[in-house]
Amino acid sequence: MTLTRLLRRCAATMFLAVAAAPAHAEPDTPAYPPRFELSGFGTLGAVTTDDKDVWFLRYGVNYPGEKDPDFSPDSLVGIQGSLRLTPYNDITLQGLVREDGDASQDPQLTLAFFRQTLAPGLSVRLGRVRVPFFMLSDSLYVNYANPWVRPPVEVYGLNPFNDLDGVDFIYNARLGAFDIEIHPYYGGGRIPFPQGKARLKEALGLNLGLSRGDFSLHLGHGEGSFTLERGDTLFLAVSNILQRTGQGGVISDLSGTHGRTSFDSVGVQWDDGSWQLIGEYARRKINRYAASAHGWYLSLGRRFGPVMPYMVVARQTLDEQFAEARMPPGRLAALWDLFLMSRNNAQRSITLGARWELAAYAAVKAEVTQARPDGDSWGSYAPRFDAQTTRIGGRTMNTFSLSLDVSF
Amino acid sequence: MTRMLRTCFLAFSLLTAPGALAQIVIVAGARSPLPELTPEQTEQFYLGRAHTLPDGSVVTLADLPPGSIRDHFYQQLTRKNASQIRAHWSRMVFTGRALPPQQADSVAELRQWLTAQPNLIGYIPATEADGRVKVLLRLP
Repeated sequence: MTLTRLLRRCAATMFLAVAAAPAHAEPDTPAYPPRFELSGFGTLGAVTTDDKDVWFLRYGVNYPGEKDPDFSPDSLVGIQGSLRLTPYNDITLQGLVREDGDASQDPQLTLAFFRQTLAPGLSVRLGRVRVPFFMLSDSLYVNYANPWVRPPVEVYGLNPFNDLDGVDFIYNARLGAFDIEIHPYYGGGRIPFPQGKARLKEALGLNLGLSRGDFSLHLGHGEGSFTLERGDTLFLAVSNILQRTGQGGVISDLSGTHGRTSFDSVGVQWDDGSWQLIGEYARRKINRYAASAHGWYLSLGRRFGPVMPYMVVARQTLDEQFAEARMPPGRLAALWDLFLMSRNNAQRSITLGARWELAAYAAVKAEVTQARPDGDSWGSYAPRFDAQTTRIGGRTMNTFSLSLDVSF
Repeated sequence: MTRMLRTCFLAFSLLTAPGALAQIVIVAGARSPLPELTPEQTEQFYLGRAHTLPDGSVVTLADLPPGSIRDHFYQQLTRKNASQIRAHWSRMVFTGRALPPQQADSVAELRQWLTAQPNLIGYIPATEADGRVKVLLRLP
């Protein structure tokens, strides 16, 4: 919290300093440091599902909408400012406005770091960066940079964390015919969601990128401790039942401050300018509070001038639920099952879509996803009305998404 | 329907295809201390993967406005088309990996910048290279 406040203060100070700098108003100034660069990205996206008793959720902590079509899963605006202090260091700030887990749209500080070049190809960043657990994690909301309306939820829903407050190093080098990127990182972050809080602590990880020509490979591993303190009504009801049935010890597997988690991912991309193939496998292991699961997707696109139709096949599978309890059959057992089901996002899906380069730095995308959550899962959906009577698992849902992405 | 779409795409491709474009050269200011560059080094710079030379000296980048010269340059140097490059740079900038090249409004403005800043590099058609610039690399 203190760090967040500090980062916000730094952000405000920097913007004020830049606004006051006379060089900023001079358009013909050459690239002498200090120099300020302002850029941004945004998405206006609408989502609707043919079954009107469920809502589509983007990555688990997106709050269910109240309107149909729902503009909240994908719509966002990001503004970024970078101040080049000297040729060897800079400060970058990025603010993002999108709906968060609290259904609010308060601006969030998504990047706030000081970067120093230490040696040719090697730089260190101190402050807030994006959690880079998976191949596209750190550009998750830069929808213009991705071919689809959004990266597949079956993989990217495995990690709810966005911010990493800490330090990372990025090392780029040429190794024979390959370009390599080595990216170790350390830090923590937090996410707001209704009636609870989650915090990632002491996360340590390493990403390796290898690319040659049209091909690139990503390997990533990260691990850390985390807390998940629930306060929602379903959790409170379940806790009450566990206490009454003499299984109070199980509550410490549902909510608390002693979680350990790890994330692994392998991704490949092939893009020769006509064909684009992207595939990724990712796994999260957790000792309590949330399920262990893995997911993968395979995407194939083909460019025809400014239009690229694509198809994505994706799957998330539950590896292990995070708690076990013996409930008397009937209403109590149903409530317990509902609790576990609501925390399971396993599903399979197939998506057909197209991206159209409307103009330089503007793209329109439309896609339809047919998703089938597993029998004991809510998949990427949430009930719109009564959770106890709305069955989601095993159903087939068709979700339509339309978006306009810009980068400026 | 398929045939109609194909015809549309073909027509669009023909309309937007660059004609026989002039050779592109990578340049710095005439008094720049920067040495000649290899295609690999220049590709690293213009993909945002490097911004220093092996001796530690910093190289800053300039771009020309969107258009056929710019698209031809990136295609020649990186074998990536305009939409691939735009997506690549969006990712590099908004993940905080690299600062974007500074965009000049014209070759004339770029030349002025190169004269004023010794570590800046840019690209221009070879026919535009005169005594005010130093050629660091000729693309095929």
